[in-house]
Amino acid sequence: MGKILQLLLRNGGFVTLVLVEAFCFFLIVQFNERQNAIFTHSAGILAGGTLEKRQQFADYIGLRERMDSLSKINARLQTDLANARIVKIPRRDTSYIALFDSLNRTDSVRRKVMRPLYEYYTATVISNSISSANNWLMINRGSKDQITPNMAVVTNNGIVGIVRHVDPNFSMVMSVLHRQAKISVALSRFNSFGSLIWEGGDPNVMTLKYIPKHFAVKPGDEVVTSGFSQMFPRKILIGHVEGDIAQDPENPYFLVMKVRLSQDMSTVGDVYVVKNIFQPEQDSIQVKVRDEQ
Amino acid sequence: MNNNFFPNLWRFLGLVAVQVLLLKQLTVSVGEYFNILLYPLFILFLPMQLATPYLVLMGFAVGLTVDFFYPSIGVHASAGAFSGFFRFIVFAMFAPKGGYSGKEPIFSPAHMGWQLFLQVSALFFLGHLFWYFSVDDFTVVYFGTVTLKTFFGWVLTMIFVWLYTAMFNPKN
Repeated sequence: MGKILQLLLRNGGFVTLVLVEAFCFFLIVQFNERQNAIFTHSAGILAGGTLEKRQQFADYIGLRERMDSLSKINARLQTDLANARIVKIPRRDTSYIALFDSLNRTDSVRRKVMRPLYEYYTATVISNSISSANNWLMINRGSKDQITPNMAVVTNNGIVGIVRHVDPNFSMVMSVLHRQAKISVALSRFNSFGSLIWEGGDPNVMTLKYIPKHFAVKPGDEVVTSGFSQMFPRKILIGHVEGDIAQDPENPYFLVMKVRLSQDMSTVGDVYVVKNIFQPEQDSIQVKVRDEQ
Repeated sequence: MNNNFFPNLWRFLGLVAVQVLLLKQLTVSVGEYFNILLYPLFILFLPMQLATPYLVLMGFAVGLTVDFFYPSIGVHASAGAFSGFFRFIVFAMFAPKGGYSGKEPIFSPAHMGWQLFLQVSALFFLGHLFWYFSVDDFTVVYFGTVTLKTFFGWVLTMIFVWLYTAMFNPKN
């Protein structure tokens, strides 16, 4: 065997053979219909397969970039959606009035110029906890990204928490799974509002309180944000009522029930930070009534 | 080289003529498994001293000539070129200890004896036929058919190789 190999290498015969066979291959494909058909077919499969693989690879490489751009588009759509919900509020609602730009109200013509109420920013959760009594998340956005305390953090599936501490590049978010977190929510079927708190334990279940007892709440009823907190936009899905609906032992005029969260808190990844543009104004007007309480 | 030229030329013309006038008709009338390819004998009987690149080119030439009559441009040419190279390997495999003496002008029974000649030609034609049918079918899908065709073609061809060689007993 070694002798044969040695002879092969020493001789130009092999090179000649390869060249002549290549030429023959060309002749065969060029002048024979049957072989040409086979070649064309095989080459098609090969080229198609290669192109597809290349495309798949390129798609995969571009995935991160595309996801970022999709997140941005989504943030914009969420902004539009949140604001669109506000537009539907009847005219007497104060939020609606806020939508009119007072500067654009000229003498005779009342121009309805819409003003956005919320702005959405994309962010990614870089640390999360669900097992403590008071849970926090860290996101990769901070004051450089116009994040300020008391902004809401939501996902496409539900709510996550509220921004509490802001550094230039990172922010700490108080999870809804925190003893101090108290979310103003509503049962979308009745438009009746209450408070959502977490009593520890199952990180997917929270407790809904202060729903007046004359509402016939049933398991499966949808729980959404009420929009009263000035942080979360209205009607973001939070979860569904689950299990027994009982009378609140502390306050017999109200019901207490469990709510299963629609956003699994253990899988939170990409989030949106929501800025309420009118929050300073809303806060300052609330301060005025605080003195009268 | 010069005194080898005319015997090889006659062999070239004679084998191509037999191949395209007689043996091709046999395949056409009997069936696709009845293949006798005798023209590679031209390659086998080329001078022993001829360098491999020339063997490849000569094999290509005789194959292409046959192709014009079949017509299957390139298929026999490919098998011929392969056989030119394959002859070099087969000869090396069957070389006596210390190599060939250099006195034998061609690899024929007259110089090498019938036993060695039949061994070498059997392997040589097996290689040629397998290459030919593989290129002819041009896909690995028909590997079984290729093997069968090679086997039947090889048995028939070897009979004709023996007949031809016994009849003409070429010496140069």
